[in-house]
Amino acid sequence: MEITTTTENGAVFAAVSGRVDGSNAKQFEDGLMAGVGEDSQALVLDLAELSYISSAGLRAILLTAKNLGKRNSKFLICSLNPAVAEIFSISGFDRIITIMKTRDEARASLS
Amino acid sequence: MLSLLEELMLLILDDEDGSFAPVPEYSLDFATAGAVLMDLAFENRIDTDLDKLFIVNPAPVGNSLLDPTLVLINQHAGEEGIKFWIRKVSANASELKDLALKRLVSRGILKEVDKRFFWLLQERRYPVIDDRLEREVKLRIMGVLFDDGIPDVRDIAIISLAYACGVFGNLLSARELKNAVPRIQQLRRMDLIGRGISGAIRDIEATITLSMRGMM
Repeated sequence: MEITTTTENGAVFAAVSGRVDGSNAKQFEDGLMAGVGEDSQALVLDLAELSYISSAGLRAILLTAKNLGKRNSKFLICSLNPAVAEIFSISGFDRIITIMKTRDEARASLS
Repeated sequence: MLSLLEELMLLILDDEDGSFAPVPEYSLDFATAGAVLMDLAFENRIDTDLDKLFIVNPAPVGNSLLDPTLVLINQHAGEEGIKFWIRKVSANASELKDLALKRLVSRGILKEVDKRFFWLLQERRYPVIDDRLEREVKLRIMGVLFDDGIPDVRDIAIISLAYACGVFGNLLSARELKNAVPRIQQLRRMDLIGRGISGAIRDIEATITLSMRGMM
């Protein structure tokens, strides 16, 4: 699992590649929060290159969303591939967390 | 902090007389198994996806409610799904529930009372003597049900377990329950082990329905 972060107009875009499961979910969560500064207005999680996510990975996303909510920062997910989109849909995460089809849509929703 | 199984026991016990709420035994057994599996997942010992449940770390947690189930999963070579493990662990539900109740008694939350009926039949009951933790669990549940915010993962878990045992009718008024149903349905989907419990209950109920049709 690898996280690459970039910042655009106060929003952090974190692109995640590989697999997120119980073996690295804590590292994933810590990596996301480390990329978000105190003054960041939003975190956009780009999951285009995420090949697999388990329950532990979903929990890490939920914890990140909750932590950002406490800071009044926005949290968006974008670019889900079909396999990952299926688990988000079945588990209902797509009803709790805002999901955009593309990074451009996510970017537009922040402006 | 209480384990999820201890929290579930507090939710299904009548505070005054210490009797269990009328929950189908299979539902309570599956929820018992699910509570242990959920706590093992929170301890990062096991993980799940839509197809399977697997070991992440076989090291004991140091918790007598959880470690025997971790050993059981670790001894099993195959990659089975969540429903398989709900059913398998539910075979030990009676021992797990007894242990959870004994732990609550030893912490001074419940007391153990043997009630006799007609001088012959005896039933063990667990009236509450310190209701602070139980009230805390109920408040957490209410907070999540009547707030649209991002829920805590443990709150999602206890809501899935409470739903499986059908105890919301005891916790909420009819009007509150009606308002909370969409949120309960939304949250109970979010935990894959919780979904496995519901699936195992549905399977049993379908079998019962089929066998009753066969008797007609």
